[in-house]
Amino acid sequence: MPKLTKCLSVAAIVLAALTGTATAQQDFPNKPIQLMVAYPPGGSTDIAARVVASIAEKALGQPIVIVNRGGAGGQIGWTELARQRPDGYYIGFINLPATNTVILDPERRAIFTEKDFTPIINQVLDPGVIWVRADSPYKTVQDLIDAAKKSPGTIRTATTGILSDDHLAILMTEEAAPGAKFRIVHLDGGATQFKEIMGGNVDVAFDNVGSIVKRVQSGEVRALAVLDDVRSKFMPDVPTSKEAGYPTVISNSTRGIAGPKGMPAPLVAKLQSVLKKAMEDPEHVKKLDDQGIAIKIMIGDEYEKYFAETHAKAKKYTEWAKNRPM
Amino acid sequence: MDTLQHLMTGVTAALSLQNLTFALIGCVLGTLIGVLPGLGPAAGTAILIPLTFKLDPTGALIMLSAIYYGAMYGGTITSVLINVPGEAASVVTCIDGYQMAKQGRGGTALGIAAIGSFVGGIFATIALVVVAPPLAQVALKFGPPEFFALMLVGLCLITGLGGRSLLAGLAMAVLGLLIAMIGIDPVRGAPRFTFGIPSLYDGLGFIPVVMGLFGVAEILLAIQQPHRQVIKTNLASLLPSREEWRRSVGAIGRGTGIGFFLGLIPGVGAIIPTFVAYVFEKRLSKNPERFGQGAIEGVAAPESANNAYANAAMIPLLTLGIPSSPTIAVLMGAFIINGLTPGPFLFQERPDLVWAVIASFFLGNILLLVLNLPLVGLWARILHLPYSYVCTGTLTFCVIGAYSLQQNVFDIYVMIACGVIGYGMRRIDMPIAPLVLGLILGPFLEKSLRTSLEMSAGDFSIFFTRPLCLVLLVLAAVVLVASALRLPPRELREASSN
Repeated sequence: MPKLTKCLSVAAIVLAALTGTATAQQDFPNKPIQLMVAYPPGGSTDIAARVVASIAEKALGQPIVIVNRGGAGGQIGWTELARQRPDGYYIGFINLPATNTVILDPERRAIFTEKDFTPIINQVLDPGVIWVRADSPYKTVQDLIDAAKKSPGTIRTATTGILSDDHLAILMTEEAAPGAKFRIVHLDGGATQFKEIMGGNVDVAFDNVGSIVKRVQSGEVRALAVLDDVRSKFMPDVPTSKEAGYPTVISNSTRGIAGPKGMPAPLVAKLQSVLKKAMEDPEHVKKLDDQGIAIKIMIGDEYEKYFAETHAKAKKYTEWAKNRPM
Repeated sequence: MDTLQHLMTGVTAALSLQNLTFALIGCVLGTLIGVLPGLGPAAGTAILIPLTFKLDPTGALIMLSAIYYGAMYGGTITSVLINVPGEAASVVTCIDGYQMAKQGRGGTALGIAAIGSFVGGIFATIALVVVAPPLAQVALKFGPPEFFALMLVGLCLITGLGGRSLLAGLAMAVLGLLIAMIGIDPVRGAPRFTFGIPSLYDGLGFIPVVMGLFGVAEILLAIQQPHRQVIKTNLASLLPSREEWRRSVGAIGRGTGIGFFLGLIPGVGAIIPTFVAYVFEKRLSKNPERFGQGAIEGVAAPESANNAYANAAMIPLLTLGIPSSPTIAVLMGAFIINGLTPGPFLFQERPDLVWAVIASFFLGNILLLVLNLPLVGLWARILHLPYSYVCTGTLTFCVIGAYSLQQNVFDIYVMIACGVIGYGMRRIDMPIAPLVLGLILGPFLEKSLRTSLEMSAGDFSIFFTRPLCLVLLVLAAVVLVASALRLPPRELREASSN
């Protein structure tokens, strides 16, 4: 009898081990999930990530822990994300087109490519915006472009970092208005842009709606155009680049969640359904609205297609940026 | 009026149970660091940063600031009781404080030191409240070229004032700047000096480096110190007599003034104000022969100066983002890992945080007085702890702390390597301060230089055509030339190279 018990228990263990992988996916998640943000705490990616995580973890039944892995313009965090096991317990935010340009810029020697991620769901699409000090002589995009044509290379124009979406937007503007040339100054974020614009050290800034919306609403600064084909609901009085006659100058920054490559489809589907519900939750919508951040949910083919298109577009402008003289 | 309103909000925040607890813990830990000989405020603040890692930024900075001025105060106890300064700024206090202890007046020496520190700290904080907001307003007008020049002035002052020679100081500053270049280029994004090691992509962590350079190195040095006998002195009567009061009041006032004004100048360091205050009292005294024989002014003046300096040194950090001493540089590192860059912009962006931290200085000074007057006997007992335990404990703490920063073993290696390097540098008398300043300012210096050149499309004349920038650059040059010609008084240089 004891022998039989032993045999049975061994069999049970073997059986459990064999079915382990299958059940692991079925009861996913059975431990906390880490959600990586490739920027320090307090930034707008981080704020939005915390909102969605706090809602989604209730539905998942497991905590979602935000892991801030800032540094090197996101490269540190994305390197880490790409190297994780695709078991769904480590996912992270990718920020298009910043993630793309890190891959595309040979100088950065990134050790991951666009194929190293499994896009899961997009959360935010924050359109680009061109803004100036309230007393600036530039009242419209046309004023700015005329000035950049009249004395090329003298208007000090701020980005939020080299090969950021804002940098690419400046190049798109130059492309759309032949003869216009800006003097590009790479600053490290919206706060620095505001400081240098107010101090008169740069003349015009390219950033995203979410970073500057409150200062536009309060009249501290003036937005010249939103770089989109529809107006932003947060700045309904500001014309779009399309209205201004530059329909090819469409630029934005998106934030979405991805995993390492090779994530099993059932895991992706489970995360998609939970995260999508969380992003549609009124609490999520309200909190992001208050920040002036536009929600744009994309999953599956739509998101993968968007990723590929952004990558192709970013490739073109990255190559241009690398060859453009100062 | 705006300032007062901000300050009141800050006081409310600092008085919350949570923040008050952090300030109290910081004061206790700081005093402990000060009491343990060999471990200075820079080392103490550096190795305790990991403790605050899980706190919210306000709480973390309140606690670390409290550790800083607690340590600045705590050094007095060892100066008086064993004639060994717990931290360098208490060197001068040894002279008369130890004599007083030998005469059985140790309690009075510690009492007047606590009172003097309190007055110095409170006055300097009031002055900080008055001076900082307008200064930050002015600094907001600074563009990248001005900040570049300003940081250069700060680096030149540290290099020129500290150390035995300008060459040694410059070499260390350049080394600090070079180490700061490790990692991803802040503008173009190319990896530099990373040798393909992913852990180096974000640069050498400032915290593990300073934990090594100060914490580990100072423990290694302290091991070699002979054990000192604790003097038995009367700790029961802490309050000075009427005659002693009469002598001390003026000394505390003058010490506070000296400490405050020297605290505004980057590079002066913590020792010089105490030294100047002591010499000043001695020269002013009708019977200077009492100095060195247990004169109470000889304790009151430098201790007031020390704490006034400690609080005043926060002004250049909070308003300009310029750390004026290695300890303040460590504190700046703590701001940065909390995602905050000290400087004029922080006043505008996070007034809640800045004012809560400033308000906590008031509370911290009160807490220190409370901790030190009645509890001085307890602190004196800690001196009896065998140093072998203290060393082992502190080293263990350092290793755990370095690991806990990012759960990365690499940081432990960095810390140990820097500890050995820091030890070696002190043995061959190379100044550490310029290295640490170069290390913390390096990224900002580089960024402002490159942004300036982007603004001018590569034309260096941008630095000479903006009047304020030109003035600052000339000032930096004057400081360097003056120290090359050995113009700073000899005592000053000797005091700061200790």
